[in-house]
Amino acid sequence: MASVAADTVSTRPLSHRPWWRGRLVGVGVVVALMVASYRLGVTTDANGVAVARFPWPEELVWNAFPGHLDAFQTWLLDQRNAEDPSIVFALFNGFATLVDSLVSWLDRFLLWLTWVGTAATATLVALRFGGVRAAAWVAGALAAFALMGLWEESMQTVALMLAAVALSLAVGIPVGIAAGLSTRVQRAVTPVLDTMQIVPAFAYLMPVVILFSVGPGAAVVATMIYAIPPAVRITALGIRSVAPNTVEAATSLGATRPQILAKVQLPLARRMLMLGVNQTILFALSMVVIAGLIGGGGLGDLVTSGLYSSPAMAILAGAAIVIVAMALDRATEATASRTDPTRRHLDDSARRTLRFLTVGAAAAAAASVALAKELGAPAAYPEGRSAQEWLLARIQSALDYVQDPARFLFAVTEPLGNAILVHLVQPLQSFLILGPWFTTLAGVTAIALVVSGVRPALTTLAMFVAIGVVGMWEPAMDTFSQVLVATGIAVAIGIALGIAASESALVSRALRPVNDVLQTLPQLVYIIPFVYLMPVSIVPGIVAGVLYAFPVVVRLVERGLRDVAPEAVEAASAFGASRTQLIAKVKVPLAGDAIMLGINQGIIMVLAVVVIGGLVGSGGLGYLVTEGLVRGQFGQGVAASLAILALGIALDRVTQATRQAGKEVLA
Amino acid sequence: MTGSVGQAPVIRAHGVWKVFGPRAERIVGTPEADLPRRELLERTGCVAAVRDVSFEVWPGEVFVVMGLSGSGKSTLVRTLIRLIEPTAGEIEIAGRDVTRASRSELRALRRHEVGMVFQHFGLLAHRRVLDNVAFGLEVRGVPKAERQARAREVLRLVGLEDVADRFPDQLSGGMQQRVGVARAFAVDPAVLLYDEPFSALDPLIRRDMQDEICRLQAETGKTMIFITHDLSEALRLGDRIAIMRDGSIVQLGTPEELVGSPADAYVANFTRDIPRSHVLTLRWVMRKPAPGEELDGPRLDVRTTVRDAVPVLAASEKPVCAVEDGRVVGLVERDAVLRAIASGDER
Ligand SMILES: Nc1ncnc2c1ncn2[C@@H]1O[C@H](COP(=O)(O)OP(=O)(O)OP(=O)(O)O)[C@@H](O)[C@H]1O
Ligand SMILES: [Mg+2]
Repeated sequence: MASVAADTVSTRPLSHRPWWRGRLVGVGVVVALMVASYRLGVTTDANGVAVARFPWPEELVWNAFPGHLDAFQTWLLDQRNAEDPSIVFALFNGFATLVDSLVSWLDRFLLWLTWVGTAATATLVALRFGGVRAAAWVAGALAAFALMGLWEESMQTVALMLAAVALSLAVGIPVGIAAGLSTRVQRAVTPVLDTMQIVPAFAYLMPVVILFSVGPGAAVVATMIYAIPPAVRITALGIRSVAPNTVEAATSLGATRPQILAKVQLPLARRMLMLGVNQTILFALSMVVIAGLIGGGGLGDLVTSGLYSSPAMAILAGAAIVIVAMALDRATEATASRTDPTRRHLDDSARRTLRFLTVGAAAAAAASVALAKELGAPAAYPEGRSAQEWLLARIQSALDYVQDPARFLFAVTEPLGNAILVHLVQPLQSFLILGPWFTTLAGVTAIALVVSGVRPALTTLAMFVAIGVVGMWEPAMDTFSQVLVATGIAVAIGIALGIAASESALVSRALRPVNDVLQTLPQLVYIIPFVYLMPVSIVPGIVAGVLYAFPVVVRLVERGLRDVAPEAVEAASAFGASRTQLIAKVKVPLAGDAIMLGINQGIIMVLAVVVIGGLVGSGGLGYLVTEGLVRGQFGQGVAASLAILALGIALDRVTQATRQAGKEVLA
Repeated sequence: MTGSVGQAPVIRAHGVWKVFGPRAERIVGTPEADLPRRELLERTGCVAAVRDVSFEVWPGEVFVVMGLSGSGKSTLVRTLIRLIEPTAGEIEIAGRDVTRASRSELRALRRHEVGMVFQHFGLLAHRRVLDNVAFGLEVRGVPKAERQARAREVLRLVGLEDVADRFPDQLSGGMQQRVGVARAFAVDPAVLLYDEPFSALDPLIRRDMQDEICRLQAETGKTMIFITHDLSEALRLGDRIAIMRDGSIVQLGTPEELVGSPADAYVANFTRDIPRSHVLTLRWVMRKPAPGEELDGPRLDVRTTVRDAVPVLAASEKPVCAVEDGRVVGLVERDAVLRAIASGDER
């Protein structure tokens, strides 16, 4: 999401008075009022512990709600398992079964090929379509799986991804084509896609599990919800970016609509379509770990189940996921540019050569499979011959090192983690949790009103009330405080690095690969190392959120600053402003829109990651969802999911004006 | 080639309107339609790109449409084959009613009767030159061997047989536009529409291409509508020229009529930089011989331009006789010529 969003969002020179400056003052006033009322709202109990004098009132909680949900779930299960389920449930069951068997069939097929056959086939396919570098990436990745002794799990993950990506594309490409051809369709699907993207994955895990029950089917559906939007968006963008005069020329020659689509628009949009596939794969991969949570198996399962019991294994599996992501990213990107028909200049003889190469590659793949089977190569690369033991031992010793209080690193990470906790998270947490509920509610609504206007404010109010009513006020405030801290840090880092990058080409170039890697990595993978590096409950989730979100802020800020009208800078320099003054007094205020847009995008990304942190002890809503999934407490899990959804919508609405400003800047 | 009596026009446009904007069809026929463009836009949010345009184009004629940027030229040609739907009016091409044609009739018209060449070429980057030229035949369902043979033939006609296997982005702009012309010619349409085909090309190539068009027109005798905002191009190619302004045709006539008696200041402004003596012919400056007047001066064809007649006039004491089909149709005096040349410079 990040890279696409940021790429389609550019900022142009801004010369108007910053619209947000007055609003910033408004926000400040509201916050000051909230702080003042906090002092009045807190008391201490008999043991001297601070407690809220006005927690969310019991009378306003719909206590029966989780019970209803549980009952609903029981009813649902009954319906599903009934002798002859109604058509709707038959469809859900059928789909789940279909996907389950698709995944297991793919998995068995990959194993049937034997590890030699799979490796040869994958490398040859990459070689034929993506070229030598793509083949090298794929071969390297496969070698890494073998070396790590994770062949079987990797194949399970690959099978799951193949199924999820294929289904996402099967939905996304046709819808994207329709949206590319018709403005009306585009307008109809855009809000749906927007919603699919702001809802954190953790919010729909529960419903998906309830409807499809735990297993590969549910994992694929959850992945699809996340991976379909980029497929639709990029396909539509590709179709729309075909030069209208070529379409017009074809029309003037009497081509029919299907002819134009097949002979003009699709071939010319081919590269974009392939990039859409690339993004869909990356999005799907970032769900692997979460999919492990709901029965996806494979590497994701190793990560989620190993987080506490066998950390070294979790880290190893995390590394394997990173390798899958990088290899698929590079291979599909190479394929996208190499197979672009507008640049390839294929004449008849080249076409024949390519066809010959395709047949050759297929034959070589078939031969290697046959040979491997003949020689009795095993289905998976034998774990015994891998370096797994050795790798695990190395990782373990690294873990021991970082967790050893006597070591230097510990002296850095421990205080840093504690500082974040003690000086940022805890104060904010107690502020939001212990403060009177009505001032918090009024304050958030007032901020939405000041920043974004009446309707967003009403939506925000409704969402926060909903959170309270489903009984999730306290955990939601907990999550909210973590999101605010992480967003604050991400924006601060983003602005600092963005300024540095805009001032120095060197920094910009150095940052780019880092940003790229951070954005290709699956969300949860960030968290894993920090679970051990900063073993302070909430901190890993926050750090992961920061890492996930700051590259987008950097990119937006850098672009915003670079685009600041040169005349303004020149004029200020003429008055003898120093470089620091220039940045602080001219550039940053002028690039304000880009920064505000960064806050909007960053806050949503942070929320997605912070709730995942519930898996590793971040508490809050994410923890309740995890509980619901692991312990089968569905009512509570669904209520928490709804609260996450509400929080996501509210946070998006509060910062909505910033997004719109960004869009205006775009237009 | 103008208006041969007894022949039907190939293209007939009558009262064509195109209004862009919300509820555009409401506007035609109301007093609002007569508002100046800006006022109309302010009041209704609509742009009248083409207003009440009527004209006829005769077989084999080159009909040029001129006007400033935004005057509605492109919109007008596009409405002719409904690449843009006209808001009102009647259009007939080769005896077919375009405005009421069904989708498939319209497709048949585009496939067989009309070809179009675009300012920005609109070539397909993923196809070879040959396949670009064959595209029109391909969408008609002509078998591969046949359409490729035809495409090669047309490429030879425009002098591009050597680059048939190249791709558009490997050609220069001029060559790309030749491919565009070849693509339109490949389906052998009766009518060709050119929308500023050469304005993206540099002046030298443009001249070559104009010669090319003149040659193709002479060889194939196609009817053409040619859009340009370059007057010299219009004068070189056009049998008749229509000048558009804010969507309407302000004057329609032969080059001579436009240069000789511009309908208003707008048209005069267009023709100002053109030396009148290069365009006006003897027909324009001659007078009727008085009864019994002697017709013994030097004889020149009535279509001779004034510029070419000047040396003859200078060398002769007597008025020059303008001749058409062997008959003297008028006399040309020196002062008439001087006046004609000078009146252009007064402005
Ligand atoms: N799709 C459209 N929607 C709204 N207005 C349009 C549209 N297409 C053209 N117009 C308007 O119609 C008017 C005529 O445009 P048109 O392209 O026909 O001009 P033109 O004479 O071809 O100009 P040029 O020489 O620049 O090509 C312009 O004012 C233009 O803004
Ligand atoms: Mg035009």
